[in-house]
Amino acid sequence: MYGHQGKILHVNLTDGKIWVEDLPEEWRKLYVGSRGINARILWDYCKDPDITWDDPRNIIIYAPGAVTGTTAPASGRTSVTTVGCTTGLYLKSNTGGHWGAELKFAGYDHLVVHGVAKEPSYILIQDDHVEIRSAKELWGKDIIETDKLLKKWHGEDSRGLYIGPAGENLVRAASIHCSLYHAAGRGGGAAVMAKKNLKAISVRGTKPVRVKDTKKFAEVAQEMRDNLRADSGAQGLHEFGTSGSIAAVNEMHAFPGRNWQTGYTENVHPISGQALNENGYLKRRVACFGCTIGCHRYSVIPSGPNEGLASGGPEYETFGALGNGPGIINTEGVLILNEICNRLGLDTITAGTVTQWAIESYLRGVLSLEDTDGLELDWGKLNEVKKAIEKMAYRDGKLGNLLGDGLKIATKKVGHDSYKWAIMNKKGLEQSNVETRSAKAYALAFAVNPRGNDHLMTETFAEFGSSPEAVEVIEKITGDKKWASSHYTEFRAEIVRWHEDCYEITEALGFCVFTSTAAFGVNPDNMARLYGAATGIELSEEEMMMTGRRVCTLEKAFNVTRGATREHDDLPWRLMNEGAASGPLKGETNSREELDKALDRYYTLHEWDLKTSWPYRSTLEKLGLKDVADHLDKLGLLPTE
Amino acid sequence: MMEKLLLVDMDKCTGCKQCTLACSLTKEDLFDPFRGRIKVLKKEDIAMGVQLVCEQCESYPCVASCPNGALSRDEETGIISVDENLCTSQGACVEACIYHTIRLHPETKLPMFCDLCGGDPYCVKHCVPGALLWVDRSDENEKLKKKLRSNRMAMYRELKKEVE
Repeated sequence: MYGHQGKILHVNLTDGKIWVEDLPEEWRKLYVGSRGINARILWDYCKDPDITWDDPRNIIIYAPGAVTGTTAPASGRTSVTTVGCTTGLYLKSNTGGHWGAELKFAGYDHLVVHGVAKEPSYILIQDDHVEIRSAKELWGKDIIETDKLLKKWHGEDSRGLYIGPAGENLVRAASIHCSLYHAAGRGGGAAVMAKKNLKAISVRGTKPVRVKDTKKFAEVAQEMRDNLRADSGAQGLHEFGTSGSIAAVNEMHAFPGRNWQTGYTENVHPISGQALNENGYLKRRVACFGCTIGCHRYSVIPSGPNEGLASGGPEYETFGALGNGPGIINTEGVLILNEICNRLGLDTITAGTVTQWAIESYLRGVLSLEDTDGLELDWGKLNEVKKAIEKMAYRDGKLGNLLGDGLKIATKKVGHDSYKWAIMNKKGLEQSNVETRSAKAYALAFAVNPRGNDHLMTETFAEFGSSPEAVEVIEKITGDKKWASSHYTEFRAEIVRWHEDCYEITEALGFCVFTSTAAFGVNPDNMARLYGAATGIELSEEEMMMTGRRVCTLEKAFNVTRGATREHDDLPWRLMNEGAASGPLKGETNSREELDKALDRYYTLHEWDLKTSWPYRSTLEKLGLKDVADHLDKLGLLPTE
Repeated sequence: MMEKLLLVDMDKCTGCKQCTLACSLTKEDLFDPFRGRIKVLKKEDIAMGVQLVCEQCESYPCVASCPNGALSRDEETGIISVDENLCTSQGACVEACIYHTIRLHPETKLPMFCDLCGGDPYCVKHCVPGALLWVDRSDENEKLKKKLRSNRMAMYRELKKEVE
């Protein structure tokens, strides 16, 4: 087969059965790959709402993209899809690194893991040889030790995906890591693996990837590479990493600090990509498989008491959630916390956001010294933050157990209106570090995101209009350049819906979303042409975007089966009710009224019911999802038209 | 002698493998890291990528190592070629190469050598970080090429030591 390898690998941990299915031709046309086909597989196996995240019938699917393994720039990413543990809803988390490409070279487009193993296990994949093995020697080991052992057993060139101690302890902030420092971090996928007794997946592949029209494919890939080479956003990402933007975000008073009580930090420089470069912390710029940008960092503390401490990152989000958030305005402080999270297998966004909530709860007297196991939490206290995070990973003591549950459960346990300073929306995922009060398309995108409020199901960076390419995207969507400002509320639903489709196809092909929604080298037009050259399946730009719409609608429908309604599409209480602390939009909120207006427009564009937010039968049928409509009908979850 | 030479800088390499994939595409019409004449030795824990590719070196021990005399060297360009009728795929050249650049083709089992694409290396176009550069031959660049190579070899030895 061309583009895809044409195979889906299934592993059932309950009975040890391993089988391979052909990739249905129809799915390649309707869902393209990776995230899209994952959504279809999850629907087919888990559409019954009784299947909760910890049910043995829950599955977890890993998939590189339709063009992963080729010279299409930055196309080596992997989607991981399951019923999420943090929200109980649809979860897709996407990771970089080199593991997914290896799975593709082993001959598989998707790996579907079913059931629960009797004892800690790992899956070994070496081309056609697939085996479930005991992970007794791996269980309890951290990410670094686990990777080392897998490489010792299966070769330096094997690639590993794994969970750390945090995942084993069913911590909501736990992340699935691969290639050591890359993670499908959000939403608690690691806890799903742990519940299945699945510690790791080691892969080695030697099968080539072929494309239908190599000449045309190479031309389109070259066009994308050239676009990215010339794009200022991509250049900045290579030079300074994702954290290169922190100074600019801070100048907009949009860099959340102290649990989102501040937006501006006077001396923010130590927690930025520029500081990593200038002060000798940056050891190497690193790329995921096939990526010509190379935004990832490998950082080392060069001297002093922590000399030699090294890890991947920190990223923008880590400098936010573990730096500015808890008030650790200190390069080495964040490097230390980042290293702990990478080693224990924690998502730095959730770990940081939960810790900030704990600090504020303690300062408000809602958590006592007994609740914190004697930790005197406060802003800017590195040692206390470090201890809180270690406790969280191991569910150690009262505090560790509370924080290990994540904000959704912890706020219910603690009560005292503590949801008011818990930065999550009704779905229950901790928000990533985007100041949605002054970025109105982001606000809507976060509210409607099926996995909770973050920037990783769609990204509307173009609304800032910070480069000519970004302005062009906004003009294409709205018809006028002037709407390229994040403070406007007009046309935000149009901007969000376009980016949903674009983001989805980006991931379905295996591209990093930076290539199409943060830098602008990859776009729906060249993606459609590339997919045609790769597979022989010729889709127009509009048809390609429609596959994105189909998948987004399917993901929405999945959440509908779990009881999600319009009320789940909201934003954190603090952001809806408390004004931004400073800056051009001082006092601005994501008010109920403003959000409702945006939601009405967004549901209208999608042809979903305004009251419930559920898709109509006619909407689903237009997208070729009649079976989905039938199932929702059976559950009594179709709105009347 | 070619008028240009290939500079291979480990410090700029992000380990993405575009070069290897590009090579397999232009030589074999498919994507396969095992068929790239240039390969990237990836050490994930320290985020290191070390490129290994035929240097068209002056000592060419590969040629002498072949018990069948299957390898020959173009005196003009330094490029090594394989006589398919003589090669028995025993891998003596793989062992002999002091720069660890030779691999046997996964299907034909013939050793693979970079031929600089006849003077327009395809991999270079794919290397956005500039870790591969196709530059004019000069005394200075010859020196630089050797320095970069020596850095890569030092790192190669360190990585291999660590693994063993």
